[in-house]
Amino acid sequence: MSLLKELNRGIIAENPVLRLMIGLCPVLAVSNNAVNALGMSFAVAFVLILSNLVVSLLRKVIPDEIRIPIFIIIISTFVTISDYIMKAYFPALSASLGVFVPLIVVNCIILGRAEAFAYKNPVLSSVMDGIGMSLGFALALVSIGVIRELLGAGSVFGFQLFSQAYAATIMILPPGAFITIGILMAALNKMENKVL
Amino acid sequence: MGLVLALFCLVSAGLLAWVYVFTKGIIAEQARIKFETSLKEVLPQASAFTMEAESIYRGMDGERLAGYAVSVAPRGYSGKIAILAGVSVEGKIIKIKILEQTETAGLGANVIKPEFLRQFVEKKISDPIEPKKDIQAITGATISSRAVCRGVKEALEKIKP
Repeated sequence: MSLLKELNRGIIAENPVLRLMIGLCPVLAVSNNAVNALGMSFAVAFVLILSNLVVSLLRKVIPDEIRIPIFIIIISTFVTISDYIMKAYFPALSASLGVFVPLIVVNCIILGRAEAFAYKNPVLSSVMDGIGMSLGFALALVSIGVIRELLGAGSVFGFQLFSQAYAATIMILPPGAFITIGILMAALNKMENKVL
Repeated sequence: MGLVLALFCLVSAGLLAWVYVFTKGIIAEQARIKFETSLKEVLPQASAFTMEAESIYRGMDGERLAGYAVSVAPRGYSGKIAILAGVSVEGKIIKIKILEQTETAGLGANVIKPEFLRQFVEKKISDPIEPKKDIQAITGATISSRAVCRGVKEALEKIKP
């Protein structure tokens, strides 16, 4: 029951992107189409769940004073592994995500969850927290990616729905990311207020 | 405390070394397959390729010379645009392929579109190959369009006899 709570929290109530507003840099950069957004979500989920797991497992042996450098070592190890795996098995995706895969290291969602949750909680809840936060991140990133790709390029996941001639290019340029995130946050706040 | 940190570094380094060795071959293989597919794409008549000089590949159709594939990387708007050009024995462009580019999404990145690249087919060194002359540049992406033109010209010059 409480495990389900850990899982649920990250999805809407504490959605890392739309609620906590952390990890926005990769969100702005790779959400210009749905495929990139989905690929990035998988990479982040891999790193976040495993780093939460390892940090939680070792929370008793990690000295308090040097916990942050140790978190960074753990996180960067998983990031580098996912970067190699992506390059080896998904070269096209790796090429289009480019530098943003190695940059997962500095994604504050991951360090934030290690520090705020995994370091203080048992293994199972930490893994659940990682899964929930990853789902929340994926939900936000993929929705932004789908909206931007649809309005900016006339396609969804690469399937052309209408001609690019009718699309608003601004949506796949950086301003489109800010506009989309802003509107999604506003919509989420509005929804939440109605429920309360 | 230092010991704990050192231990973490050691385990991390060991793990990374193992993953690196494991994926290295696959990554190199992927890059090779990708490049070879690109060579075939710009020079479909050729069945085997040999490197003739730095960035020039000779495409053979059995015993007969089918043409050349030339790679160039002119500077675009936000970085190099890696281009592979297939050139016939007569010195005419067969096909252009953009291997890598970091141009602006929605504007300069449109240089990868076939509608744009098709214009270079059959071009030869005596053609101007310039926007506003014989090439229709991409709207809002003059610098990127010009860079591709420069690259194509450079490729043709490289194999000039």
